[in-house]
Amino acid sequence: MKNAVSGLGLAPDAAMVTFPIDMFLPGSDITPVRSRKREFYEGLTRWQSRFAQSTAGAGTMLSVEGASHEDALNQANNLLLTNLWGDGLPLWPATRERVDWILRGAALPRTHVIGKFPPRGGVTTVEICAVALAMAGGRPEYLPVLIAAVDAFLDAESNSDQLQATSGGPFPVVIVNGPIAREIRLNSGFGCLGPDPQRPAGASIGRALRLLQQNVGGALPGIGTMAIFGAMRYTNVVFAEDEAALPQGWRPHATERHGYAPGTNSVSLVFASGVTNVQRRGAKKETPEEDVLNGMWRMADYMRTPNIAALQGYEKGTPGIMMISPVVAKMMAEQGWTQASIREFLWENSKIPLAQLQRAGAPAWLEIDSNPVTRASIRFDPWPIALKPENIVLVVAGGDHPTHYHWLQAHSPRVIGRVVRVPESFDRLLADADRDLGCGADECRI
Amino acid sequence: MVTLEFHDPSGKLEITQPHAPRLATLEGKRIGFVSNEQWQAYRMLPLLKEMLEADFPGIEVLPVDTFPQGNALIGNEETAALVKQSGVDAVIVANAA
Repeated sequence: MKNAVSGLGLAPDAAMVTFPIDMFLPGSDITPVRSRKREFYEGLTRWQSRFAQSTAGAGTMLSVEGASHEDALNQANNLLLTNLWGDGLPLWPATRERVDWILRGAALPRTHVIGKFPPRGGVTTVEICAVALAMAGGRPEYLPVLIAAVDAFLDAESNSDQLQATSGGPFPVVIVNGPIAREIRLNSGFGCLGPDPQRPAGASIGRALRLLQQNVGGALPGIGTMAIFGAMRYTNVVFAEDEAALPQGWRPHATERHGYAPGTNSVSLVFASGVTNVQRRGAKKETPEEDVLNGMWRMADYMRTPNIAALQGYEKGTPGIMMISPVVAKMMAEQGWTQASIREFLWENSKIPLAQLQRAGAPAWLEIDSNPVTRASIRFDPWPIALKPENIVLVVAGGDHPTHYHWLQAHSPRVIGRVVRVPESFDRLLADADRDLGCGADECRI
Repeated sequence: MVTLEFHDPSGKLEITQPHAPRLATLEGKRIGFVSNEQWQAYRMLPLLKEMLEADFPGIEVLPVDTFPQGNALIGNEETAALVKQSGVDAVIVANAA
């Protein structure tokens, strides 16, 4: 609530009466409302904000002293944690030198305001993004992707003001298309949703985005975000589509979803609330046709679940992201499957019988949805998990191995795209990265 | 001693509008509710209405469903306009959890 009002330009406090969660549960004892009625009355009559009408916080430099550089580094990390600006892992203090170095990757002035980070409403400049990327261990050539991701995150249609705070704990998934992915060492292959020392860009870009969410946006666990579990929130998810592995006739995700020309550097931002592995490969003597079809059914079976959080994206968002490895995409394409026919199969075969929705209490959530299109979908039996097949995001990525799919169930009213803008000196930054980290991503062995 | 200077990572906040002034008294005032209909609001807000009416002579507390309800509706401009048009002196917004 405090965050929400500051995001509206009000002071970062509000007249509130707070109670333990027990009182908000069905069948609860609500007599504390009666015993604490004076607090409600005082909120309406006597409460005063502690903040003057002005600018509050930041833009300032912090300082620590230590007996040695290592001691000062420890002091800095302690200060960041005690001010609730850390994530529990070691941070690079964002010194002037480090931030200026990161800002070499900016195509915009450091003072450029991208927006206000919800719900706290911190002013989000190019510089504060560079500060977060510096703390996260990033490099200048990563900054264009981070800036584009932040711009997508702050898009009003992303609903990020609510998603930042919600108990469902959605995390941003940033899918990168275009040559920049390979140029900056962003992983599209084995282990692309996790750490990879040969392709380390996604870890620090995602961690920087998370630090911005927490420090500028106020999404502090249990205070600014009620995410009950908070999965995938150290680094979020930042990976590249393996465009080189797209079968003949298949189009990059950014072209399919956002209409960007193939070869355009872009990000696509989806909020997801889970990552599920789907074992797809057959165990015995399946024919190629059986192997593919069985795998398709297993995908559909995982998708056929009443994911209430995905209702927000029922019309224009997505029910989730299906990640298909390059070798599986190739097998499917060889049997005539296209991106469109895969989506059609998954959409048709993930429909949920109304009786199953009813036993889970899902129709009540449909009835109160703000979108009349979503409310009207209750007439369908079986009920499709999205308004249309095109809403399902299909991405070719992951290691070249046939045994698994990954399904990232969504909590995403929209899928937001942004073109990535790089500075004129970008080639120089890439050359510096080659100098520092070794040769390009294909052969790189850092 | 080694000194390390680094940026505050929290970003600037801009306070562009003050909170609404508080009322001198609740007696004789008109109070409204904006409810998201969540978290037992359907039980708590009627109780609050009952207490306000019992404790403050001349107070008028509008029914809980006077304005649009639900998370999807309470934050939009149409609801804000309805609240303004109603002439209430104060509004209680609930429930968050």
